[in-house]
Amino acid sequence: MSNIINRLGTANMYDNALRNISARQSGLSNLQENLTSGKRVVRASDDPVSAAQAERALNRLSRIQTEQRALETQRNAIAQGESSLGDAVSLLQNFRELTVSAGSATLTPADRATIANQLQGLREQLQEVVNRKDTNGIPLLGALGSALAPFVGPLSTAPDYDFQGLPGQTASSGVTVPGTLDGDSAFMFDTKRDGVYNAGVSAIPSNRQLTTSAITPADRSLITGQNYTIVFSAVGPGATYGTSTATYTITNTTTNAVSAPVVVPDFPSDKPVTVSVSGIPGLAFNVTGTPGNGDTITLKPTPSLFSTLDSAINGLRSAGNSNAAIQAVGQALANIDIGLERVNNMRGYAGELLNRADRITGDQDKRSIQLEGDRSRAEDLDMIKGISDFQNQQIGYEAALKSYAQVQKLSLFNFIS
Amino acid sequence: MTLLNVGARALLANQVALQTAGNNISNVNTPGYSRQTVALQTVLGQYTGSGYIGKGVDVQTILRNQSELLTRQAAAAGSTQSADAVRADRLSQLQEVFSGGATGLGAAINDMMNAFSDVVNGPTDITARTVVLTRMDETAARMRTAADRINDIQATSTAQLQNSVIAVNSLLRQVASLNEQITSAQGSGQPPNDLLDKRDQAIREINQYVQTTQIAADDGSVGLFVASSQPLVLGSVAASVSIGDATQFPGSGQLKLFFNRPGAAPIELEESMLGGGSISGLLRFNNEDLTEGRNLLGRMTLAIGSTLNYQQALGLTLDGQPGKPLFTTPPDVAGFTDGAQKGVIKFNDSTKFSPTALAASDYEVRFSSPTPGGQVIRLTDGNITAFIDFADLASKQIDGLTFEFAANGAAGQRVLFKPFTNAAANIQALIYSPRDLAVANSINAAMGTGNGGTLQLSSLKSTGLNRDPSGNIVATGVVTPPPSPVLPATTGGGVTISFTAGPPSGYTISGTATRPLNVAPASVYAPGTTVVPYVPGQPIQIDGWSITLQGSPKDGDKVTIGNALDAQYGDIYKRNSGNASSMMDLRDAKMFDDSTLTDGYAGAIAQIGTRTQSAKFAVELSTTIAGNLERDRTAVSGVNLDEEAARLIQYQQSYQASAKMVQIAQNIFDSLLQTVGR
Repeated sequence: MSNIINRLGTANMYDNALRNISARQSGLSNLQENLTSGKRVVRASDDPVSAAQAERALNRLSRIQTEQRALETQRNAIAQGESSLGDAVSLLQNFRELTVSAGSATLTPADRATIANQLQGLREQLQEVVNRKDTNGIPLLGALGSALAPFVGPLSTAPDYDFQGLPGQTASSGVTVPGTLDGDSAFMFDTKRDGVYNAGVSAIPSNRQLTTSAITPADRSLITGQNYTIVFSAVGPGATYGTSTATYTITNTTTNAVSAPVVVPDFPSDKPVTVSVSGIPGLAFNVTGTPGNGDTITLKPTPSLFSTLDSAINGLRSAGNSNAAIQAVGQALANIDIGLERVNNMRGYAGELLNRADRITGDQDKRSIQLEGDRSRAEDLDMIKGISDFQNQQIGYEAALKSYAQVQKLSLFNFIS
Repeated sequence: MTLLNVGARALLANQVALQTAGNNISNVNTPGYSRQTVALQTVLGQYTGSGYIGKGVDVQTILRNQSELLTRQAAAAGSTQSADAVRADRLSQLQEVFSGGATGLGAAINDMMNAFSDVVNGPTDITARTVVLTRMDETAARMRTAADRINDIQATSTAQLQNSVIAVNSLLRQVASLNEQITSAQGSGQPPNDLLDKRDQAIREINQYVQTTQIAADDGSVGLFVASSQPLVLGSVAASVSIGDATQFPGSGQLKLFFNRPGAAPIELEESMLGGGSISGLLRFNNEDLTEGRNLLGRMTLAIGSTLNYQQALGLTLDGQPGKPLFTTPPDVAGFTDGAQKGVIKFNDSTKFSPTALAASDYEVRFSSPTPGGQVIRLTDGNITAFIDFADLASKQIDGLTFEFAANGAAGQRVLFKPFTNAAANIQALIYSPRDLAVANSINAAMGTGNGGTLQLSSLKSTGLNRDPSGNIVATGVVTPPPSPVLPATTGGGVTISFTAGPPSGYTISGTATRPLNVAPASVYAPGTTVVPYVPGQPIQIDGWSITLQGSPKDGDKVTIGNALDAQYGDIYKRNSGNASSMMDLRDAKMFDDSTLTDGYAGAIAQIGTRTQSAKFAVELSTTIAGNLERDRTAVSGVNLDEEAARLIQYQQSYQASAKMVQIAQNIFDSLLQTVGR
């Protein structure tokens, strides 16, 4: 503001000096505000771009906080779901062990009934476990949505157990994991996908044995999900001495279609025979033992793991002799294993979700730190620079005040006496 | 005797000079005072044989030191400075309305949107729902408060305008009467310095309010002109100015300065012609800055309110009913015009109003001359959209708005639309019962139990997007629910998406005949037969809903979408939070000039902040310029005390010398008398 004019208006000179001093003062006060608030950008007009950046970073930070809170809820739900599945697995394993022990030939029907009661207890526990809810009352295994207690049964109508809900699994996103697990996939059997059947054998006298192997799917696409019975007839001596022969027919009890009689090739009478039954669409199993006229094997699809357990319990409870018990145990073990596999799959998925939740937390933490850095860079004051600026300004202000006071003292009038 | 006369004259002249210096010293701080100096001249000498003998000194006149040019420049610079200062001042008030941080309106909006997260995770948690509703009420209240504060600022600046006009009018009368006095004083031959100072000061003060052009007349009066052409003062006649609504847009709140001459109709002055002055600064603030602030706030309110209302209507409450509006939004706004056709913009018809496409601006519809036809002008940037006639205008959305007129306007008619002005002031949260928050989806999805692939449900939402008859995708807000099972069946129904390994691989859709939105209208589509290619993560949109799947399906895998209210699904919807997650997803909806809802407020902060910052820079610059020019002006006409002190000494010495002269004259006379007396 150097001036080439040699003459100055006194009043204007004071006005200018005062204006400069007050500008310095307000500058000092602004710097003080920056220092005390720790912010370089106190108002948007200080630096609009930084202000907007800081605001955006702040929004993202609060969003991450919200997402993390939600993730905690989800993680808790999945952790509960995972532990419920773990409980279910140990219950099923207990069930399996008891079932194995029930297969012992030395047990009496009364012993088996006792075991069946124990098994009943385990099954009831399992049903309680699978219908568990999270803290908000949402079923942990509710899939895409379900009734308050998704697993209902046993029902008097087929299927005896029902998943009252919408099967399927919600996907995870970059910042969330699902809060529920697909219970349908874990505990319910699908006709084609799993092809789980339970085979029962009519009462066989104690002097004979007749059991079936586990029923395995031969061609899943052909599995009908219908009920079948196999009835043996024409059991008698075979063509050569010491051999026997038998014939069986397969009846589809759902459609009442009866197959052509199948003749079992002659077999030694003194040994149990193994008959491979392949006449049922998509299914294959063996019948082992000594067939008798009128012996009936009943095949029913099993809609769920619970049905398997129920069949095992009922089979053991009503087993009049060890043949029936062995049949029930064999079927139960095979089907429980299929079920366990599915439950373990789901448990593995739950575990993976928990891992994913941990990874998300890690990512979000990193993003938070980064965003906090962005925000701070945008609007926070560099304290060292701030203090240095403040001191500069302070010195400048002091100089301005001193020089004003000194210049003001100077007047020609002081020298006129 | 001559010596005595010379001495006496010199005494007198020096006394006048001393008095003038004294007068200067006295008026050192008087605003508008111009330094005066005494112009001395010699009295014509007496002719004698030995030449002209000087007869001393005489005061010719009292000079008023001032530069016409600098005075004018300083007044003009002061005028600009005053306009910038008042605008920067008001803008920094407006800026406070748009403050950021954890206590700002933006944080309130984000907290509201984030609150949905807890509802999404706990649809049965009534507390979480209540928190959302409370946050909504809070946000609405914050928006109203912000609007109230803007209104307050407007009221203050309008009052300031009115007061300024009164002050200007009184100053104008003052100048007119000073003109008269100066003209008559001029006759005496000597300039009426103090009157001239007074007039200059009055003119300078007028310039603080409104910039004027001064043209001096021969009779000593000065003519004052505003907006370069309208005579505010001519000789001794003063006109007046007033503030009022723009004549073309009555009631719009757009203010204009009017020039009133007795017996003539008021003339509306264009802001762009006004130049500097606080009135001009305030008008600019009122008509541009305040409007922008209001538009930014109003657009945010309207867009957020409308989109949330829209999504709420697509969901189900705990009672299985479609949601009722969450916020009050204005049903429509009318245009402002002095013509017959007012026109209207409707906000309650989702096919005519796209809340995510809005621009924070006022609009002007100008009918061409001759009609029909015309253009719509976005006032922030002057972007022009032409239309053929009113029916054509009503058929198109401009920045998400549809301008509807009952008929063509008159030739040259202009209609001003301020779509967002009152949205924020009137917003209210309408829902207070947590049951009434539409958290659940009206549809649900189930995977086939036999699915062998890895399909997972990424999202399922109601969008209300459908094709209009001409094949464009529009938000009609209509969701056609998937078919319910035909009674007496209790299960089944729904829309089924079945995947096939192909070739061609993809999916077919059964249960609805509607063409999915991702199948172009021109291509062949037979429901249930046409195989649509499957892209994981890409939404499949039909009938106003949208499902996003991820993972890879196996041949024969199925997904069924059902009506959530079907009896077969019982009360499953009460534990569904699909619609809440759709509302939460609005956080990332592109809403404000392609920035998301979350970032919209940050944009507004930056916009107002930039305005304020540039106004502050402008005022800093114009203050410096005005200060320099004022310094230059006072360098000529201001009083310097040191100078006056020097003058005092100088004239005191001259005075003493003159007195000595008189004494010597007396001594000479005395000596003469003594000599004669002997």
